[in-house]
Amino acid sequence: MSLAILVVFGFLKIPFESQTEQKLKDKGFRDWVPNMSAREQLTQASFIGAIGGFRSLVASIYDLRAHEAFRDKDWGSVERFRKVTTSLQPRFAKHWDLAAWDMAWNAYAYYRSKSEFSDDDLELWRIEKMIMPSYLEKGLSFAKEGAKWTPESYRLPMVIGDIYAQKYNNPKLASEWYFKSSQAKDAPSYIYRAYATQLAKCVGMEEEAYKVVSNLYNGGKVRTLTLRRDMERLEAYFVNKLVQSNSINELKEMVKKENSNYIIYDAIATHYLGEENNISLAVNAYRELVKNPKAPDFYRRKFALLIARDPANEERAYGLLKNMYLSTPQIFRRVDLIELKKIESNLNIPLNEKLIKSDASR
Amino acid sequence: MTVENNEPIDNELNSKFKLFSPSRVMAIAMNTFTQLVRMKVFYFLLIFSVLIIGANVLFLNFTFEQELKILQDVSFGAMTLFASIFSIVGTALLIPKDIEDRTLYSILTKPVPRFEYLIGKLLGILFLVAVSLVLMSILFFAVLFFRQHGILAEEINQMRGQPTAEQISSLKENIFAQGLRLELINGVVAVFLKAAVAAAIALVVSTFASSTLFTIIVSLVIYFIGHAQSMALDYYFPEGDMHGAFQRFIAGIVAIIFPNLQIFNVVDGIVSGQSVPMSLMFRLTGLTGFYLFIYSFVSWVLFAKKEL
Amino acid sequence: MSEDLPTAVQIKNLTKTFPVPFKKEKVVAVDNLSLSVMPGEVYGLIGPNGSGKSTTMKVLLGLISATSGSSTVFGMSSTETASRGSVGFLPENPYFYKYLTGAETIAFYGKLCGLKRKVIKERTSELLNLVELEGARDRRLAGYSKGMLQRIGLAQALVGRPNLVVLDEPTAGVDPAGSRKIRDLIMQLKDQGITVILSSHLLEQVQEVCDRVGIIFEGKLVREGSLKTLIEIEDQTEIVLENAGSDLLKKITDLINQENGVNLIRSGRPRTTLETLFLKETGGESQDVRNES
Repeated sequence: MSLAILVVFGFLKIPFESQTEQKLKDKGFRDWVPNMSAREQLTQASFIGAIGGFRSLVASIYDLRAHEAFRDKDWGSVERFRKVTTSLQPRFAKHWDLAAWDMAWNAYAYYRSKSEFSDDDLELWRIEKMIMPSYLEKGLSFAKEGAKWTPESYRLPMVIGDIYAQKYNNPKLASEWYFKSSQAKDAPSYIYRAYATQLAKCVGMEEEAYKVVSNLYNGGKVRTLTLRRDMERLEAYFVNKLVQSNSINELKEMVKKENSNYIIYDAIATHYLGEENNISLAVNAYRELVKNPKAPDFYRRKFALLIARDPANEERAYGLLKNMYLSTPQIFRRVDLIELKKIESNLNIPLNEKLIKSDASR
Repeated sequence: MTVENNEPIDNELNSKFKLFSPSRVMAIAMNTFTQLVRMKVFYFLLIFSVLIIGANVLFLNFTFEQELKILQDVSFGAMTLFASIFSIVGTALLIPKDIEDRTLYSILTKPVPRFEYLIGKLLGILFLVAVSLVLMSILFFAVLFFRQHGILAEEINQMRGQPTAEQISSLKENIFAQGLRLELINGVVAVFLKAAVAAAIALVVSTFASSTLFTIIVSLVIYFIGHAQSMALDYYFPEGDMHGAFQRFIAGIVAIIFPNLQIFNVVDGIVSGQSVPMSLMFRLTGLTGFYLFIYSFVSWVLFAKKEL
Repeated sequence: MSEDLPTAVQIKNLTKTFPVPFKKEKVVAVDNLSLSVMPGEVYGLIGPNGSGKSTTMKVLLGLISATSGSSTVFGMSSTETASRGSVGFLPENPYFYKYLTGAETIAFYGKLCGLKRKVIKERTSELLNLVELEGARDRRLAGYSKGMLQRIGLAQALVGRPNLVVLDEPTAGVDPAGSRKIRDLIMQLKDQGITVILSSHLLEQVQEVCDRVGIIFEGKLVREGSLKTLIEIEDQTEIVLENAGSDLLKKITDLINQENGVNLIRSGRPRTTLETLFLKETGGESQDVRNES
């Protein structure tokens, strides 16, 4: 009689329970299924624990085990344990993050340093051609899988971008992933800047890169050194294009129409410097350029260095440069500092007053 | 003999028998509560769990995300272990002990219906488990609170230069988002609900089992099967038709008879940052209520017939 | 006929069998037993171990169900929970929750009987006084002696003002003074019109308090009736004299010898009971001689 009650109730509760299960699945509480492959991954105690409601604890334990394996440089175990943590709690971004990090950075670096000390050619070949790339791939696959599981988070796409940028030197893919990462709600501001930097490295995408970089440069809160350099480099690229496709007169015409476009002046100046090496005309063009309030501040540095080319104005130029350097040193690139050093030695500036001391760069 | 001795003394106490009396049930429940509080099992489990939660302060040396996560995992683990084990063991003790000590006779020879006795016992242990969980979570939350503030201070110390207010507040937000939050309460509730079902299971088994040990073992087995039951459900309604008809039949039986305890395992998701919608919590509570009701009913059916 | 008068307890054709596991035959614990107890009586149920005494009591109290036959308490079937509202039960070797104090124990059972808080308070004091445990009211039952446990048991049996009190071996293992107290209490209950059913192996004590007695053997009621009629030796007479001299005795003996058909069976000093001596020596209560009316 009581068995009958249980059975009847059992029938009634099934649809309710399956519905609840479905809802749980939807909300991401059923990411891990206790099936045979899961059983193979875990020790028996861990499997029982995972079923019994201690899944997160088991994941944490395997996290610790992975850390231990990392210290022992046991990369096989590291990989194995990371597979476990990510399958137990796939929606926890940190698991994937650490997994990718262990593969594409830690394991990779370990083998790279091994390759540096290896005498055996075959070994070297194996490490460089097979092992190291495979760890990059593993890291990448962890990160990509993780990105799928955590679509709301910026973290994994950023990791993918990092791998492409730092390990594969593929700025195109890196920029795509950084962009994706930057669109997430929790993305910190530097991700978008990373996107901009990688984009700026892409050959053939200068227009697009320039749009992004100049927006950041003019509108963004922070102007990092990289941003400044990218801005300068991209503008130089456009200047170059202008110089190559237009004659000086065409340029003069252009500047009359679009006098707000300060790049054209740079093009004009470059023309004068290139063909005739006419410094004074170039300087005149630059004078017009720096009048434009939209022109970035590194043009003033360019202006001053241009003036300094004429030995007659070197000292005056040095005065301008000194002021610039003391107030806004960030507009001086490395090559500019070398030039400044030359100017100082030309002018015989005494050692204790030199801005650039010895060979040490800033 | 005089006339009045022939008739029963009719006083108000005798004629006022109520079919269901909450005060009777409460009397039994509170009695059960105090009885269990004095048992060694209770003290042992409670102190053990408290020690575990307290020991979290010793876990250093990890990134703060790991530390906070481990703290939550271990605390929830301790609470789950305590609640489940005590629910089963405590309930398993109740009826056999009353029978063995014959205190059961002193209760059932009063005008106490048998189902009130059962419900009183169940309520008593549920109340005790609830109170214990509240105490443990207070400790848990306190430890979490202190750790997350400690971590914030450590992280600020480690930052180079003078961190801006914005940096501090975003760091704080980042740390605290993984620390003490309202979601954790849902986790504790889920632990309690599962323990409640476990207690109800033990109650049913104890009504027909002859000894405490047998009750505990059978209840634990049912408890484990209940966790694997959702696998059986998958077998019964398979995504792909891979399993034989007989296996599916058995799996179907399993799914029907045993409760699906996996649904209460929301703690794993909560710790990794997910949140449980209130509707789901209501569902779980409702389902628990169902289970308690049905299992109490079955216990009553079995107990009513029991020869004492 | 007793059918017309309302009975306190009426057991009719009660049979109770227990199945034996793995065997077809059953154990017959109670076999077609009928007895009735009138209100205000003290009824003694005696029989050897395993005779079905406890089974009968359990059926009466609703702890077991009858295989066939009926059992009613004040007209209500024993199977109904409400019937226990008028019953108080003191089990053999009573055991209550050790960690409760005397007062808390009574209060607990009072709540189970449906008493309100104020009533419980009064009742607790009243009962503790009655069973003379006032001094131990705040001591945990773990520290009670056997006699004290027995008395607190009696108190909880009485807490709901029952009209029927069932006592299973109430004086087993209790010292003579305590035993006396319990017997006095039973007489008090009787004076209040409360029906008492009592089962005991200590037959002298049963003899002292009971009005009627039923003897159960192998599940059947083999003898039942009022104590007086059962144990009176009908054809003998007893005369007890105080300060009788030997002359008077000689005269009486001669008188007897003169009558036909009358035999002097025995003369000499009547014996007091060891119990009475004990109580006298240990300062127990004064002997309460049971007078046959």
